[in-house]
This record gives sequence, C-alpha cells and structure tokens, in this order.
Amino acid sequence: MAHAGALHDEDVMLPPPGREPGAGVYNEKLGMWVFLGSEIMFFTALIGTYIILRVAHPTAWKAPGEVLAVPITAINTFLLICSSVTMVKAFAAVQDGNLSGLRKWLIATVLIGSTFVGVQVYEYRHLIEKGFVPSEGLYGSTFYTMTGFHGFHVTIGVICLIFVTWRAFQGRYSAKDYRGVEVIGLYWHFVDLVWIILFTIVYLI
Amino acid sequence: MATTIGHVEEVTLGGAEVHADTRSFVRKYIFSTDHKIIGIQFLIMSLIFLLLGGVLAMVIRWQLGFPKQPMPMGGVLPETMAPGGVVLPEFYNSLVTMHGTFMVFFAIMPLLVGVFGNYLIPLKIGAPDMAFPRINMASFWIAVPAGFLMLAGFFVEGGHAAAGWTSYAPLSERADLSGVSMGQILWCISLIVLGLSSILGSFNYITTIINMRAPGMWWFRLPLSIWSLFVTAILVLLAMPILSGAIIMLLFDQTIGTHFFGPAQGGQPLLWQHLFWFFGHPEVYILILPAMGMASDIIANGARKPIFGYTSMVLAILGIGVLGWGVWGHHMFMSGMNPTLGTQFMISTMLIAVPSAIKVFNWLGTMWMGNIRFHVPMLHAMAFVSMFTIGGLSGIFMAATPVDIYIHYTYFIVAHLHYVLFGGSLFAIFAAVTFWYPKMFGRMMSPFWGRVHFFLTFIFYNLVFFPMHNLGLHGHMRRIYDPTQYDFLKPVQPINELISISAFLLFATQLIFAVNFIVSWFKGAKAPENPWEDNGLEWTVPSPPPHGNFVTVPQVYRAPYEYSSPFVTEDFLPQNRELPEAAPSAAPHS
Amino acid sequence: MEEVKHAPHPNYIAVFIALGVLTGLELFIAFLPWSQMTRVLILIGLAVWKAVMVALYYMHLRFEPQRLRWLAVAPLPLAVILVFIVTREFRW
Repeated sequence: MAHAGALHDEDVMLPPPGREPGAGVYNEKLGMWVFLGSEIMFFTALIGTYIILRVAHPTAWKAPGEVLAVPITAINTFLLICSSVTMVKAFAAVQDGNLSGLRKWLIATVLIGSTFVGVQVYEYRHLIEKGFVPSEGLYGSTFYTMTGFHGFHVTIGVICLIFVTWRAFQGRYSAKDYRGVEVIGLYWHFVDLVWIILFTIVYLI
Repeated sequence: MATTIGHVEEVTLGGAEVHADTRSFVRKYIFSTDHKIIGIQFLIMSLIFLLLGGVLAMVIRWQLGFPKQPMPMGGVLPETMAPGGVVLPEFYNSLVTMHGTFMVFFAIMPLLVGVFGNYLIPLKIGAPDMAFPRINMASFWIAVPAGFLMLAGFFVEGGHAAAGWTSYAPLSERADLSGVSMGQILWCISLIVLGLSSILGSFNYITTIINMRAPGMWWFRLPLSIWSLFVTAILVLLAMPILSGAIIMLLFDQTIGTHFFGPAQGGQPLLWQHLFWFFGHPEVYILILPAMGMASDIIANGARKPIFGYTSMVLAILGIGVLGWGVWGHHMFMSGMNPTLGTQFMISTMLIAVPSAIKVFNWLGTMWMGNIRFHVPMLHAMAFVSMFTIGGLSGIFMAATPVDIYIHYTYFIVAHLHYVLFGGSLFAIFAAVTFWYPKMFGRMMSPFWGRVHFFLTFIFYNLVFFPMHNLGLHGHMRRIYDPTQYDFLKPVQPINELISISAFLLFATQLIFAVNFIVSWFKGAKAPENPWEDNGLEWTVPSPPPHGNFVTVPQVYRAPYEYSSPFVTEDFLPQNRELPEAAPSAAPHS
Repeated sequence: MEEVKHAPHPNYIAVFIALGVLTGLELFIAFLPWSQMTRVLILIGLAVWKAVMVALYYMHLRFEPQRLRWLAVAPLPLAVILVFIVTREFRW
C-alpha cells in the first residue's frame, strides 16, 4: 500500500510528502505503533511481575477454575475477539469507501467492547462478594492489577471508539482518509491481543 | 498533511511552511502547539525545579556541615520540619529524597528531553514542527500538574516522601516504619502523571525524527544532538512504563493492601529493586545522552573542526542505548540478589564503559589541533568532557563488584553520581542554554558574566564533589543525618564543612547565571541569525524562528560538521548551502 | 466512488474462525490431567499463536513495510530479558 511518491500532494494515507523516506507509513500510524511499544512495556511490568511472583511462590495460586469463573470469561474472551472482527470489518469498509458499513461495524465494536467491560465489572463484584479481593495474597494482588489495568485500557478504547464513531457519522472518514479508523483499530486490536495473553495465563494456568 | 486549529494553517509539509500568524496571545504563548514555545515552557518549569532542588541541597549541606545547628533563616520552616531552625531527622530523610526526585525527574530530565528535544528536533531536521503538535502541548500541560502534586507533598501531614528517590520497598509502603503516608502516595501519583507526559513526548519525537527529516537529511547526516535525542526518546518510551507499572504496584500496596513488595504474604522487596532499576539504569542514560549529543555539536563548533569519528559516535550512542538495558543489577550488588546475576551484571557494566570512552576520545580528537574559540558554551562543553570522564572513571570502581562491596551506599557513590549528573549533564545544559539562547530569545547572554559564572561554578563544584570521593572511601555513608554520631567519621567532619561552605558558594554563584538569563531576555544584545557561525539548520532561520520554522523546505547537501572546509572561504559550511559543483565533505564521514 | 488503492483484504473471517478454534482448544487442554509444565507450555504456545495472528492480519503487519515490522517487535526482547533475569533471582 505504501510506496514512495504520493499520487498527489494531499494523499494523507501515505508518508509525509517531500521528506526523507522514514518508516514508509503516514505519521499517525507510525505514532500509534511507537506508542504501542510503550504499552507493551507497561503490560510487561504487570504481567512480568505476575510471572516472576508465581515462579517464586507457586503455592500462592489456586488451580484454574477454582476461584475464577472460566466459562463466563471464556465467553467474554470470545466477545472481545468478535469486537476485533467488527473493528477490522469497519476498517475494510472505509477502505472500500463503504461509509454506511463503516458506521455499522463501528457501532457493533462499541457495543461489544462495552459489553466486555460490563461483564468484567460484573465478574469483579461477584469475586469480591466471594471474598476474593486485591489483598488476598499474591493471587489477588496480581489478578486485580493485571485485569484491572487491561479493563482500564479497554474502557479508554471504548471512549475513543465512541469519538471515532461520532466522527464517522459526521462524515469525517472516506476511502481517501481513514487514518482515525486505522489508528483506533490498531489500539483496539492491541487491547484484544493483551487479553488473549492474559486470559490464558491468568485463567487457564 | 494539514491540521487546522483556530484560524491558522498550523503545519503544512511539502510547500510553503510559514504563514501569517493570527493566533491569539493564549494560543501563541500559553496553550501553544509550537514546539519552540513548548520547549521554552519546559525551560521555565525546569529551571524553577532546578532552583528548588538546589535549595533542598543547601539545607542538606547545612545539616551535614554543621549538624544540629540552627540554620540561618531556618525559623521560616515549620516545627514539623525544623523546630528552632534545627533540621529534624525525619525531615532530613525527606530532603534527600526530594532533592533527588526534583533534580532527576523535574530538572535534568525535562531540561534535556523536554526543552532541547522539543526545541531542537524539528529545527535541526528541517521540519516545521513535531509530527503531533497538539499531543506535544498536552505533554507539557500534563507535566505541570505532576509538578504541583510533587510540591504538594511538603504540605501534607507526615511530610513528604522520605524513602529516597529510589523509594525502596518495604520502607516506602510502610507508613508505620517511615512515618510518611500521604507524601509517599503523592510522590507515586505525581510520577505516574509525569510518566504519561514523558511517554507522549517520546513517541512524538521518535515519529518526527523517523518520518519528517527534510530531503537530504539522511540518517548519517543527522547532528549528534538529534541522534542522541532519538535514542533517548526510545529509552524514555520503553523504560518509563516499567516505572509506571512498578509505582502503580507500590501505590496499590500502600492503599488497597496488595502484597507485591511486602514480605508478609509472599511479596518480594527485591522485585521492587529489579523493576525500579530496570527503569533506573536506562534513566541515567536518558540523563546523559542528550548532554553528550549537544556537547558534540558545541565542541565541533568551538573547535571549528568536524567531529572526530562521527560514525563511531553514532554507533556509541546506539551501543549505549542497547547495552544500557542489561546492566541494571549493578545498582543492586549489595542487595542480597543472586550472586550469579551479580557476576553477569559486573561484566555487562564493564562493557558499557567502552562506548562512553570512545566518545571521550572522539571529543578530544575533535579539539586536537582545532582553531578553538573559547566561547562560553565551549568552556562548559570542555568542562563537561573532563568532569564526565572523572565520573565515568569512578563508575569503573563501582562496576567491579568486590570493590562495590565497600563503596556501595557511601559518599563515593554520591561523588560519582554528581560528577556525571552535574559535571556531565548540568555543565552540558549550561553550554546548551547559552548556545541556543540567542536562537530562542533573539538575544545574546552576557559573555563576561557567562565566563565569571563558568569559572566560579567550575571551581566550587570541584571543591564540593571531589572530596566526597575521599569521604566515601573513609566509610561515610549516604543519607546520614548526623555523621558526628560515629567516632570513625569525626576526623573527616572538616571535609564535610569544607564541602558545605563550597556548596553555599556554588549555589550563590548560580545567581549570576539566573540574573544573566533574565536580564539578557530584555536587555541582551540582539542576536543575528547565526552568532556562533554554526552549520545546523536552525541557524539558517531568524532568531527566534517564525511559527513554521522554514519559509521553504530546506534541502540538505552534506554532513553536519563541515567546519574549516577547503571548499569555502568561511570556516563553516551549513548543511543546506548549495555549492556550485558538488563538493564532497572535507572529512570522510560515513 | 473514489478510486481505491489498497492491498486486497485478507480473509478476516477465516482468521476469526482460527482464533475461535484455538481458544476452544485452550479451554479443552487447560482441564486435561497433564503435568503443569506440559499444559503451561502448550497453552502459552497457543496464546502466542493467536496473538501473532491478530498482529499479522488484524493489525496488518503482514502487509506493512519491513521497517514497521521491526519497530513493532523491537520491545519484545526487553520484556524477555526483564522476566527471564528476574525469575533467575527467585529460582537460583
């Protein structure tokens, strides 16, 4: 898709014109990938701590399913993956100039993403009622910190998605300029990717 | 790619870059998206924190030089800090903590990265502004509340954070042990907020340098200041989130009862140290790399010679950036960590001395046989090279684990860190501020008072910090409230007095710089476009540059340090100056 | 309708089905009576496979310039170093 030499000066989906070749993509996309690098390191701190503490003190954890509700979280995982599909369909739609498809798929992503957060909150309440709280040893400490910050990132993602959806309804995106859609898509897929890792190592191990 | 805010086309690429500026006062100077204004905003904020950090140091030095004596003007401090002007031990712990915290996070780091990163990157690569000007503005305005939060800690019950700038757990999470609860929490929150500001800034810098270099500004034609800021931004991007994560876990331990670092339910205090230093070591390279890069620019300028070994300078910067991730355990040799890891870290730490040494030799090679102009920035840059070398040499002592057993947590370490941070970073900052002041403010600082400030600072600085090597070898420990409580330290107390008196004089000398800075802003000689006869792109535009920087996109033809080129009569040759026939670089550069 | 110039869409639904299948497989394996080490290795392997698919196809890394791909994976060695070295701290 990206090649040196824009078709015309204002082709915003290509790298900035009249500059030395850089990463080969437009600024916003490069910027989001660079930013995601910092997010990788942030989750490394939290997830790395979990791995380190679990290796150091394995008996502080219970078997899968004993404390955490695997079935409902598995469904939630499936939902989040679905929201990645709807997000990428929205992206594909705007690439093809299908603006009503863009709006439809963006709304679907917002709804499914919000549902994910809702289910997580419901699960938290359920766990706290059962007595599984953040101060419940290393298990509680790591569980709530990792999933909590993931949930926080999903929530930020939903808010940004709502903003992008609103702009889509305002007609701000087209096949010639869909940077906002692509960039929020990258963030959203990243959040899904982190959950794919988290679900496995927190719930299934 | 145009973004429109208000009524002015902010940034366009590929065509005319400078437009008539119809922004309001607030948009131009307060909530500005112009990288130059944001750089100056960071400058003002950082200089204030540098002053505050210095004031804290004065109180520390009073207590160390004249233990338990009432401090002059100490009566202004409340009873909880210094009843009768005598510093309390608890307050002393806060002082050393906050001196470090202010200096590292709110003075040196923003001065190097926030000020010069912002100011220099677009100008020196030939861009009209950063890739994301509005995020740049957000980065500054998020740093401001972080600063207020950090100041607020002095006013809460229990006083400010007192567990050292390294905030080791479990002390930092046990209010019952440290006596501090709210202050420690504020410390954590402030740094999380500041971390966000830094991360926003770093991905902006990285994107800008990768994607927005002017035509002809190849990677190996970038000035070393930009190379170093680029690698620094990568270090900030990847290291700050680790600190944020660690501090969040500390905050949770403090507030919601989690058990990350408290041993009671399986938490690991050493985990805090590993996480902190995994951030902390790249952090010290963040604090020195931009200084090295700017010193290179200034030394080439002062020597009127190309930088000796440009390619190896770039490789050294990259080498430091990569190797810097593998040495963090050398801060933990005495922590009780796995001794095998200790050996590994000793080896990696000795390796990392090599790229820094290469740079020192190359600076010397640059000055050798140069037609040196001893302007004020050059004086500071030369001090930087020599003082950083001393700091680096003391670092080799520490790298050897068996030696570190004796000197860890003594004043030998304090000497080392101040030689690299003050002798290194701060002298480079003085050099850089003086050098780019004309471009920023359109005025020259007074050269006479610049020299007075330099010579007095250099003398007093060495009187303060060199004797600390001796103190440390004698066994004088860090963060100690009253050295005279130990018989074995009584004989060296005169050294403490000497250091303290020199420190007061050193601090007073900085008034000269402050007055020079402020008065020159209004009354300094008007600066021409290129007062230092430098080759950088920023010196091809007015002082200060207009919004948008360049009227047309510059075309770059050569490497950045073509001084004393045989192809022109002047002894400098700007990067964007076109010569009648293609003149190869005077020095082989790639 | 504007002239549209982009790479052909990968088969997003096929990827979705693959992700679903792998997730189901994970759920199945997690509760099998195998040794902890075996289950951990297989589950992490499956999770990483899923993550890579999301990165390559949904985040389009497969179709981006080589430089961007390197940039995207650059932080990963650091993450590995941190976790690997510090686990050595607690398991000598």
